[in-house]
Amino acid sequence: MDAAAPRPKENMGEPLPRVDARLKVTGQAHYPADLPIANIAYGALATSSIAKGKVTKLRLDDARAVPGLLDIVTYGDMDKVDKPKFGNSGATSIGPLHDRTIFHDGQIVALAVAETFEAAEEAARLIRAEYEEEKPTATFDSPGTATIPAAGKSPLFKEDVKAGDFDAAYADAAVKIDQRYSTPTQHHNPIELFSTTAFWEGDQLTVHEPSQNVTGWKVELARQLKIDPAKVRIVSPFIGGAFGSKGPMTPRTAIVAVAAKRLGRPVRCVTSRMQAFGTQTYRAETRHRIRIGAGRDGHITAFAHEGWEVTSRPDPYVVGGTSATGRMYDYGSVLTHVSLVQADRNTPGYMRSPPETPYVYALENAMDEMAVALGMDPVEFRRINEPKTEPIGKKPFSSRSLIRCYDEAAEAFGWAKRDPKIGAMRDGEWLVGMGCATAIYPTAVAPCAARVRLTVDGDVRLQCGSHEIGTGVRTVAGQMASERLGVSIDRISVEMGDSSLPPAPVSGGSISTASVCSAVLMACDAIRTKLYAAATAEGGPLAGSHNEELELAGGKIVAKSGASAKVEDVLKAMQVGAIEEYAEFAPKGATPDALKKLYAGTPEFHGGDQDEDSVKYAFGAEFVEVRINRHTREIRVPRIVGAFAAGRIMNTRTARSQLMGGMIWGIGQALQEATEIDRRYARYVNRDLQDYLVPVNADIKDLQVILVPEVDPAVNPAGVKGLGELGNVGTAAAVASAVYHATGKRIRDLPIRIEQLLV
Amino acid sequence: MSQPSALSTNGLSRRKFMAGTVSAAAAAPLLASRAEAATPVAAEPKLRQPVVTSLRINEQPYELSLDTRTSLLDALRDHAGLTGTKKGCDHGQCGACTVLVDGKRVLSCLSFAVMNEGKDITTVEGLASSDGKLHPMQQAFIDHDAFQCGYCTPGQILSAIGCVNEGHAESENDIREYMSGNICRCAAYPNIVAAILQARDETKGA
Repeated sequence: MDAAAPRPKENMGEPLPRVDARLKVTGQAHYPADLPIANIAYGALATSSIAKGKVTKLRLDDARAVPGLLDIVTYGDMDKVDKPKFGNSGATSIGPLHDRTIFHDGQIVALAVAETFEAAEEAARLIRAEYEEEKPTATFDSPGTATIPAAGKSPLFKEDVKAGDFDAAYADAAVKIDQRYSTPTQHHNPIELFSTTAFWEGDQLTVHEPSQNVTGWKVELARQLKIDPAKVRIVSPFIGGAFGSKGPMTPRTAIVAVAAKRLGRPVRCVTSRMQAFGTQTYRAETRHRIRIGAGRDGHITAFAHEGWEVTSRPDPYVVGGTSATGRMYDYGSVLTHVSLVQADRNTPGYMRSPPETPYVYALENAMDEMAVALGMDPVEFRRINEPKTEPIGKKPFSSRSLIRCYDEAAEAFGWAKRDPKIGAMRDGEWLVGMGCATAIYPTAVAPCAARVRLTVDGDVRLQCGSHEIGTGVRTVAGQMASERLGVSIDRISVEMGDSSLPPAPVSGGSISTASVCSAVLMACDAIRTKLYAAATAEGGPLAGSHNEELELAGGKIVAKSGASAKVEDVLKAMQVGAIEEYAEFAPKGATPDALKKLYAGTPEFHGGDQDEDSVKYAFGAEFVEVRINRHTREIRVPRIVGAFAAGRIMNTRTARSQLMGGMIWGIGQALQEATEIDRRYARYVNRDLQDYLVPVNADIKDLQVILVPEVDPAVNPAGVKGLGELGNVGTAAAVASAVYHATGKRIRDLPIRIEQLLV
Repeated sequence: MSQPSALSTNGLSRRKFMAGTVSAAAAAPLLASRAEAATPVAAEPKLRQPVVTSLRINEQPYELSLDTRTSLLDALRDHAGLTGTKKGCDHGQCGACTVLVDGKRVLSCLSFAVMNEGKDITTVEGLASSDGKLHPMQQAFIDHDAFQCGYCTPGQILSAIGCVNEGHAESENDIREYMSGNICRCAAYPNIVAAILQARDETKGA
C-alpha cells in the first residue's frame, strides 16, 4: 500500500479514495465562483487607503463614466439594512458602508458593479476617497493601544485558568525559566479567492459563497437584510481551502446582496488577493511570557502563561490558548492571564488551531528550554510530567495517548541516535539539529442534523449541511452510512454545502467528522431499526431474531444464525420504495435549547474542557530534523515525523492527508509565514503570495505520519476526535528546538529566519 | 491591483512614468485604468471595444467577443464557460490558473486572451478521453490523494503534465523544484510528487 493510503490499524476505517475525487481532477467540482449564472454583473471593491479617520468625500464621477458601469454601492446605500454583528457567524461588527468612520486600512468604501469584470475593476480604481485622517495605532508597542483583560470577552474564553499557589511554588523551585515568545500576524491565504455571488428570485435570495457555516450565515444575512431566514439560501458545495477564513461571514456578503437587489440581476464579486488581507480575518499577532519552575528531578511545580493578543477597536476577538496550555502537563500550580491589545486594525479571527498554534508554540518552546536547564532529554522531561488528571479541575482525560505518540514517533525518527550536545551533529557544511514538541487539540462536538434515504434499489442519499473544505467530510460521512447500512460507497450520494439541507455546525474547531458522523450514525440506525422490525416481525424472513443478532452487509440483513434476508425484499414486503430518516444529534450534556440553537445557526460546542465528567483532547508528538548551512544560515527541514492519536479514524487516507497538511503548515509557521505591518500606516505590506511566504513543494521532503490506535467511546457516539487542526500544533516549537540543537541559538520570535541565525 | 488609486502620492504620475519607459502600445491597458493621468487618454474608447478572438480550446474552436484587457484566464472562465481553470491570485504567483498553450504550461492570468489567437489551449476539461477515461496524471492524483480542497488541482495537474514533457520529472528533487510554482495551501506536496512519479512514463507517451 502506498504512503497516501495507510493500512488501517485497530479502530480505523479503510483508506477509500475521496468520493468527490473524480470531480476535482476533471475540473467538474464547482466552487461558488464557478457556477454559471445567466446575465451576471461583476462587482469590484474599492477600499480605504488610510487606517483611521473619516471619509469626507467620495468622488465617483470618473468611475461612473466608465462604459459598462451599472451601479456603485456606497455610503447611504446600506442604511435600510442592519449592521453586521461580531460573533461566530460574523467576522466583525464594522458595517463599512453604514458610516464613514474608517477603523482599519483596506476597509470597503464602495462596490462598483459593471457589465464586465474589466469595467468593474477599472471603475473601482477610479473611485476617489478624501479623508480626515488620524494617526493610526498599528500593533504592540505602537502609541495609542488599549489593553484589556480577555476573560469573559468571548463565550469561548470565560476565564483565566489557575490552580494552586503559583507564586510560592515558583519562588521555591530549584530550577526555573522566565522567557518571552511571540508569533506574527498571519493570513490564511486559501488558494480560492473570497467571493460572493448573489441573486434574487422575487423575495428569495440565493448566495453562492465559499462558507464553513452555511446555516449560521443564512440566519445572520437574513438578520442584516431584515428578511425571513427561510428566504435566504447559502450555497457552497465545494470550498477551495478555508482554514477558518470562511467561518464567519464578512460585510461584503450583504453589500453584494444589496447590489443584486438594486440592479435586479445577479452580481458576482471576487475579492482580489490583496484586498482579502484587509476585508477578511487573520491570525492576530501574539506575545507570551512563560515561567516554569521545577525540582531537580524534573517535576514541574509551577507554570505561568501570560498572553497578549492584538484585536480591532470594536471587536474583542480572543485567541486565548491558556485553557489548553494550562492543562497540558502535571504542573502542580498554574497561573494564566490573557490580555487583548486594541489597535486600528481589521478584526482578527479563527485560523487553523486558533488558540493552540500560538500558545502551544510558546509553551513547547519553553518546555524545551526547561529540559535544557535541567540537563534532561526533552522527551523524558515530558514523560516525567505526564499527568493522571488535568491540573485545573482535576478531571480525568477521556483518553490521552501522548506518551505512546512520543514513543512511536521517536522510534520512527531515530531519536536515540541524536547526540544531545549543541552543534555536535554535522553533515559537511550543514549543521544538523533535532527537536520535538507536543501537539494538542481539544475534542469538541456539536449538534448536527442529517437525512438519509435508503431505496429499494439499494441506493443511499445522504444530506447534511456541513461543508467540504478539503477535510474529506463528504467521504467519511458516506463511509459511515456505507458501514451502517451495508451498502457499497459507490451507491451513496452525499450532498453538503447548502443551507437548505439539514443543518450542521460550523466546520471549525475540528468538530465536523465527529458531529456529522454521529448524526449520520443516528439516521442510519433508525433505518436499521425499521428494517429489523419488519424482518423479524411475525411472518417476516427473520422472525424470532433479536436486533443485536443482526447485521447489514452486502444489501442483506444477516443473522448470527446464518439466515439472511435481502433488504430489497424487506422493503417490498413493507410496501415502501424507500426508508428515509431525519436525525437530530445532540451531544451528551446538551442543553434543552441545543437543537433550536443548531437551526438558529448558533450551535453549542461540547467536549474539550467544558464537560463535567472528563476533559477531551487529541494528542500527538512531532519530531523534526533541521539543517542549517554553516555559511549562509539557510534553514531547511528535510525530515519530519508526527504520531497522532485521535480516537476512531474514519479513513486513514483523508486523516493522514489532513495531518500531513497540518505539519507542513507548522513548518511554514516556523520558518516562513508572517504578514508584515507598516507601523506608520497600520497597513499590511506583503499582501500577495509572492511576499507572504507559504511552503511550496521544494520546501518539503521526507514527511511521515503515524496514526496511533486509540479507542475513546466517551467523546461522541462515533468515537471520533477531530484532527484537522492537531497536525500544525507544536510543529513550530519542534523546529525551534531543532534550531537550538543545531546552533545553540534559542529563537523565541516566529518566524525563524536566516537573519536571526547570523548574529 | 486593488490599491485605491487615491493612494499614489509620489509625485511622478504613473502615467508619465509608464509613457516614458515603455512603448505606448504596451502601456495602453495600464494607462486606461489609471486615474493619475494628467490629461484624458485619447485612445480609451478603442481599448474597451470588444474584439472577436478565435481560440482553440481542448481541440474545439471558440469565437469570443472580448474586452482587450481580458486575461486568458477570465476568457476561459467567464466567456468560454470552462471554470475548471482557477483564479487564485491573478498575479502569476500561485499557479492555480496553469493551462497548456501549444503544449507548454502557461499562467493564464498573465496572458491576455487576444495574445492567444490561433493557439492550442488545453485545460483540465480537455484531459480525459471522450469515453471518460482519465488522463494518467488525473488518475495518479486520485490514487495518491494529491489534493484536499481540490482548488489548485487543475493547475497542479496541467503543470505536472508540462513538467513531465519538459523533462523536469526525472528525479523527486527535480519534481519538487519544477512544481514549486504551484502552491497547494492544503499542502499535499508529498502526494503530488508521488502522483507525478506514478504517471510520468505514461504521460510521456500520452
